[in-house]
Amino acid sequence: MLGTPYPKKQMHRIAYTRLTGEQITAKLDPVAGRGPKSVSPLATDFAGKSMNIVTDGGPALSYRFASNTRLSVAEDGGTAIEAGFGALDMDHICLFSHMIPGTQRGYAVIVDRDSRLATVIELWFSGYEDTREVQRQVYYGYVDAGGQAPTTRHGFTDRLEGRGYHWRQDTGMQTLEYYPSAGYSHFVELSRTGGEIGFSAPSDYVKLDDGFFVYTRTECEFSGTFTAYVIDVNRTRQMGVRLGFDEGDELHYYLFRGDGDIVGQIARFEKFADYSGDPIPAAPGTDGKPIKGGRRVYRPFRTMEKLTKEEVAKVVREHSNAFPARVTTGGAAGMAGNALPANDFLAGKTFILRYDNGPVMEYKVDSADELNWRKDGKGDWTKARYQAYETAPGLFLFGHLLEGAPNHDGHIIAADFHQGLVTCYNGFLNTPYFANEAGARTLFGVLEMDGIQPPMYRRHTRTTEMLGRCITYSYAPGLTSMHLYSTPNTVSWIIFTPDGHGGMEWSGPGDFVKIRDGIYFMYWLEEACNGTLGTVLLNLNIMHDAGIGYNCGSRGLNMSQIGAVVRHAGKFEVDKYFQIKT
Amino acid sequence: MSKDSANTSTRRSFLKSGALLAVPVAAASVPGVVLADDGLKARVKRLQDEAAIRELHQSWLRQVNAGERAARLDGAVRRITDDHAGAPDKIEIAADGRSAVGLFDCAVEVETPLARDCTLAQMAHAQGNGTFRRAERRTLTVDYTKANGTWKIAKASLTTL
Repeated sequence: MLGTPYPKKQMHRIAYTRLTGEQITAKLDPVAGRGPKSVSPLATDFAGKSMNIVTDGGPALSYRFASNTRLSVAEDGGTAIEAGFGALDMDHICLFSHMIPGTQRGYAVIVDRDSRLATVIELWFSGYEDTREVQRQVYYGYVDAGGQAPTTRHGFTDRLEGRGYHWRQDTGMQTLEYYPSAGYSHFVELSRTGGEIGFSAPSDYVKLDDGFFVYTRTECEFSGTFTAYVIDVNRTRQMGVRLGFDEGDELHYYLFRGDGDIVGQIARFEKFADYSGDPIPAAPGTDGKPIKGGRRVYRPFRTMEKLTKEEVAKVVREHSNAFPARVTTGGAAGMAGNALPANDFLAGKTFILRYDNGPVMEYKVDSADELNWRKDGKGDWTKARYQAYETAPGLFLFGHLLEGAPNHDGHIIAADFHQGLVTCYNGFLNTPYFANEAGARTLFGVLEMDGIQPPMYRRHTRTTEMLGRCITYSYAPGLTSMHLYSTPNTVSWIIFTPDGHGGMEWSGPGDFVKIRDGIYFMYWLEEACNGTLGTVLLNLNIMHDAGIGYNCGSRGLNMSQIGAVVRHAGKFEVDKYFQIKT
Repeated sequence: MSKDSANTSTRRSFLKSGALLAVPVAAASVPGVVLADDGLKARVKRLQDEAAIRELHQSWLRQVNAGERAARLDGAVRRITDDHAGAPDKIEIAADGRSAVGLFDCAVEVETPLARDCTLAQMAHAQGNGTFRRAERRTLTVDYTKANGTWKIAKASLTTL
């Protein structure tokens, strides 16, 4: 195929089939019998051997390897069952995987041949309402070869947190994989889908020893596919297993090897002595005991409000609200606890924002929070509530709703009164998937006002200068997130735990415009999430942003202030994996 | 001894007299002629009341810090610990011996739920971190009443220093 293989639908837009148990079983059975495929040669030293694995609180597994692709396994002293398997090894670490024929279960087993320590990952389907989503439970144990049992174990860790890799699998798959959290990760499929946007998934990070770690991810909210691999962090190699159904419901079960490059290591925010992992453990069951396979998963598609076009029209008509008085009773107080103060610079001014290939917006500003706008010189002036924030001398972010616009537009504008340049993120509703999900278009233009001569040719321009950067945003006490700009079109955000671990992560499409040196105007869209258009005018000179959110839900259409004190957590060097640099 | 000092106990004075009360055998060996002294009887009575209130206070603090619903000061307070850099504890017993007020400088951990008004806060809740804790120095004022020989807490409140 010529060109970049962009998908017709990105992962968050695919309506994955709700597979029945029978469908899953029918596809698993032949695979369980033959074992996983592998492009790379399988390990050849298993034939004729046996292995007894004891796990803490998990199964005891007795293996007999008839060949290098056939084994029998007895779980907890039960009847031995024959299955196909495949194994790979890397230095003193080996990984093998098999399913249990006649069930929807299987295992990925990682053994350290030197220490005899083992990490056993039990895998199964039909453990969640979306049956295709692979469930996993990680057990730690050892190979019982007689004699004294080891006293140490593999364990969850945050030691990989902050790392990023470019991986090239033997399957031809190339990915950028970011580990900005100790409980989630972010992946960009460069080869399969063109790397336009990245996605986030719950993950496990396990330390085998200082040179080898295990990473897993389950593509929850998407295909439900499970991936686990061992990383040789010194040689930047991987070996792993992938199990799951793709968007065409084809079952993939294969082992892989890969080579990689470290693309960066950003800061971590735990205390220096804290190397613990599993930072967001699942809530216990009603009996107070851990739930097998339990984990905390962000499921925004399931929880988001979904309104029809008619419902949107009604809530916008009845409850449109721009810049409501800030509520300070909550611990978060929204995302405006650390916001810059509103500014009255625009009060009394009259000016025009002339967008290239876009509208001509005329403004007469009455006060610090009320303006009049008119579009393309037509019709009456419309009053609107607004707020403006001076992010740098002469550079303002302001926004307002466009009452009466058929798609309930809002304009969020970075206006540079020194350069006579403006960039507008034009938010709108009635988008194709959910009417209350915001869309955005980026408008570049000039500012015309008495005393300002705008440039003829120069404009703000899109930039990749933010690509790979990670910026923490502290919006209010208890509410800090970190942005990861993983592709030229993706904003991912990570929530921290109180002890500084990266926790849940999600992501959406974004845009990046350079306004001045060190000042960037960016947006993210919470697609298949809450539908919010979030914008920030980030000033790295003062390490503070000013922002405006645009959101529609059952409580109405809202435009509201956001703002945060920021830190620069680091940068992944990933420019070369994308085709443009601006 | 002035009237004021008779009604006021500092942590230091309490500890001194507490040591005396902690030795009942020694107390019992005090000559009867001394016990017959009204002033000393009143002092012993006051020290006994202070000790009872102190015990009640510590017991209540343990309940507060254990999150026991009955002991909750208000919905936000999750932990109270002594502020050793603060003013000495003060227990003032009314002249009739039926009520008392305790003043305790303390460090209070206050937990505030994050409003679920944005995606980030919703994610924080989803990962089990839907509250924000902060520590504040405050003065705890506790009103005590005595009924049937037992001290009880009538009211407790916190004021910001």
